[in-house]
Parts: sequence; C-alpha cells; structure tokens
Amino acid sequence: MFAIIQITLKGIFRDRVFQGIMVLAVLFLFIPSAASLSMRQVTELSITLSLSLISFILLLLSVFLGATSLWKDMERRYTFSVVSLPISRSSYLLGRFFGLALFIVLTSVILGAAGCLVIKICSGIYPPDRPVVWGYLVLAIGFATLKYILLVGVALLLSTVSTSFFLPVFGTICAFLASGVTQQVYEYVNSPIALQVVSPFFKPTVTLLYYLLPNLAGFDLNVNAIYSIAPDQSGLLLTVVYFVAYTAILMGGATLIFGHREMK
Amino acid sequence: MFALDIQGMGKSFKGKKRQVVEALQGLNLSIEQGEVFGFLGPNGAGKSTTIKCLMGLIKPTYGTATIMGEPIGSVASRMKVGFLPENPAFYDYLSAEEYLLFVGGIFKMSTALLARRTEEMLKLLELWDARKRPMRGYSKGMVQRVGLAQVLLHDPDLYILDEPMSGLDPLGRALVKNIIIDLKKRGKSVFFSTHITDDVEKVCDRVGVINKGQLLALDSVDHILQQGIEGYVVNITTVAGLREESFVTKSDLQIFIQRAISNQCLIEKIQPRRKDMEAFFLEIVAR
Repeated sequence: MFAIIQITLKGIFRDRVFQGIMVLAVLFLFIPSAASLSMRQVTELSITLSLSLISFILLLLSVFLGATSLWKDMERRYTFSVVSLPISRSSYLLGRFFGLALFIVLTSVILGAAGCLVIKICSGIYPPDRPVVWGYLVLAIGFATLKYILLVGVALLLSTVSTSFFLPVFGTICAFLASGVTQQVYEYVNSPIALQVVSPFFKPTVTLLYYLLPNLAGFDLNVNAIYSIAPDQSGLLLTVVYFVAYTAILMGGATLIFGHREMK
Repeated sequence: MFALDIQGMGKSFKGKKRQVVEALQGLNLSIEQGEVFGFLGPNGAGKSTTIKCLMGLIKPTYGTATIMGEPIGSVASRMKVGFLPENPAFYDYLSAEEYLLFVGGIFKMSTALLARRTEEMLKLLELWDARKRPMRGYSKGMVQRVGLAQVLLHDPDLYILDEPMSGLDPLGRALVKNIIIDLKKRGKSVFFSTHITDDVEKVCDRVGVINKGQLLALDSVDHILQQGIEGYVVNITTVAGLREESFVTKSDLQIFIQRAISNQCLIEKIQPRRKDMEAFFLEIVAR
C-alpha cells in the first residue's frame, strides 16, 4: 500500500490540474490589501478570506483529484498493469485514498501556514478588538482538512461504480452542496411547524438522505476562529468520530465494489 | 505440479440487448513447468479473456485454474507470475526506472537486488538511455519494452504474455523471441498469446488454437510440422550428369529412392515440403 501512496503523491505533484489549482494560492498575496478595504474588523476579514481561500482550494483539489484519480487509471488502462501485480484491490484503493488524504493534509499545512502569515501581517497592521486565538485557527483548518478528506472518500466511492468522469465529479459536487444543508432540512422536517406542511412520504425520504449523505456542517469552525469563540469539545470529538466512521463506511463500500469490478 | 492448470474455465458477458456472449467455453489446458506454450487465435477468439481470467482482472463464470499451484485471482498466484498485458499502459508521469522500482517494491524485492535487476533489465531492453525520462514521451515500442522489463524484473517461474510482440519493430520482435528462447533454456514456463503463427513456430514447444471461445487444437509444434509434410523435393544427378529436381509424395518416396539407386543416380538432397504453422492455423480456424 505504501508503494501506491508514493505513486499517488508523485502523480499529483506532476499533474497539471494540481499545478493549475495551486496557482490560486497566489491570491493569498492580495488578502491583506483586500481586507484593508474594510473600515473595521480588518483582521477578522483577513481570517475569513484566508479560511475561505483554503477551503476553496481544498474543495477543488478533493473534487478533481479524488474523482479523477481512479477514473484516470481505468480510462488509461493503468489498472491492468497495477491490479495484476501481487497487490490486493483493497490495498490499491486504500493506497490511493491515503495518498490523496496525505496530499490534502500537506496542502492544508502549506496553505494554513500561508494563511497564518497573512493574518499575522494584518493583525500587526490593524490590531483586532479580540486577540487572534491561533489554536482555534489551526482547529478550523484541521477540521476543514478532515471535511475534504471525507469528500475524497465520496469521490473515490463514486469512481468505483462509474465508468465515466461525470458521476464522480458532479456526484461529489452535489454531495458537497447537499452536505451543508442536510442538518437544517432534517431539523426543519422534524420540527412541530413542519408537521402540517410536510407530506408523510417526504419525512422518511429526508431522514434517509440525512443518514446517507455526509453531514459536513459540524466540520465548519470558521466562526470560532474568526471571533475567537471556544468550540464545544464534545462536539469536536463527535465530529472526529463521525469522520472516522463515515470514511470507514465509504472506503468499505468502495473496496467492496472495486473488488468485484471487472477490468474488461 | 503444473505451471498453469485450467479446468473447465468459461466466461460469459452480457452483450447488447442483454444477449449473453460466451467469450470462453469450458477451457481445459495444462502447461508443464519449463514449457513454452503459444496460445494462437484470431482477434476476438478469447485469448485475452483467458489471460484476464488468469490474472484476476475478470472472474470466470465457471471452472477453476491454478498458477504454480495457487488459485487464480489470489495475491499469491500473482506473486509467482510475470504478466504483460496487451497494449500495456503504465503511469506515464513516471520514468521507466521509477516504474520498475515501484514494481519491484510490490514484489517485495530487496533494495540491492532491485537496483541491480532494474539496471540489468533497462540495459537488456535498450531503455538505459531513456530511463530517467517520463514514459509519456516514449514510443509504443518503448512502452512495450518497459512492459517486458517489469515482467522479467523479479525472475518468476511463469510468464504470461498477451501479444508480447505487438507494436514492436523487427529488431524488437527478434529481441523478444530471443528473451523467450533464453527463458526456455533456463527452465522457465511461458504462456503467450498471439495471432502471428511465425512467432509460435520459432519459439514454442506446444500450441493451442482457440476460436470463438473454444480450444480447437492442442499439439506440439514438432508434431504439427511433421504432420504437415505434404511430400519431398528430391534433387538427383543422373548417370549422364544431368541435375533434376522432383516433387515426390510421402507414399512414393521409398519407391522413388529405390528407382534412383537402381538407375545409378546420385541423390543430392531430400527436403520435406510442408504446410507451415499458418496453413495449420487457417485450416483449424476455418473448420
């Protein structure tokens, strides 16, 4: 599996998609000047912009690299050569996943460091009302990283069932968009107000989707980082447990499907 | 123990309009250790389907097979074999050297051995000068040679090669033939598919002809060539010193020789005229 992780990382670093996406990191240079356009809360704005930029780059990377990694291998017939080597299909797939996950972590570290530098500069020039709590900032970046690793798992699962590029890419984007609202929809459907307006068929459907689709709302700690609000520790623990369990289910499903897939 | 043992293996696919296509029908085949076996068949005969089943790329619908005693599809069976897929494709962002190091790592070769074997293979297959270049810049023939290098790298006892000579120029083809002959000398087993009869005739001990998923013929190359003798071309010099060349059928040869001797003719040369492997192949496939 270690060999596959290595190959995955080499592949990403030599991929033009990655290089193109990473060009976006140049935008960090413009954050101090963009934040200074605001009359107040310049540091808070620089934190918001930095976290948003990190989040956006990680989203692009996880969707495009996650969804195309396996698909490209199958499309270009690389899998014929690799899967026929003495390596189990599950090791191959998990190697791909861990390679991509490691890459997301490395990118977060680099982008996170750039973001912290930008925030440090802004807070030096325009001292904030509340002191920046760097620990919360690191937590926010860390949980964003977990969120996008989970999204890579979704992309890989969709790649194992599809022969085309579209399902993994658009499926992952749809899953990401839905993941931000599932919690609110679920809470609304189960609220007393919804009892009269929601049909009996709709409620179990929403409940099913709520458990089926990833719930990424808990991974968003941007507000805590921006306004230096201490996050709920039990909530954080629950999110980590959710991440581990949901990713394990995704990769379990993916390895099961990929193990039975015929390489025609 | 057979190097390769296939027992009643079959594979069906769902074709268009849910029609079932029998790509392989109850194949029975055993390859002895140290044997070079040519799997001959026209395009779409079932050669690649057989090989894909053996390598665990697809699952046979029925039947079983073992590779060096290990059931097909298992990691242990793939550990004991070197496999070259048809029209191989490798991670094109890697160089040939990086790819061989990757393959050797999967075969759990020691670092020193891997470095030595990688160098040997790159030199043997004339890739040494291009070893650091990404494979995306390689020609088809070069990629095929990388495929052969990764097959030979861990020196397995069985080689399964799907159309190993395709995409190679005459020099490359000669190189592959020499490699197979060398493997045979070293007691290795080789199972290779092809639709080029000349390849089989020159390097194989036995040949199997497959068409429409069925094994139609299985015989030794020597026997096929022996059976294919149609007659003999005999060169004689008469008492008067005249040189003559005659074609004599198998059944008439004895009488012809006796007559020539009694007429005090000198028999210069007797050469069999035979149907070649291609004629045999065409005859089997046309049945």
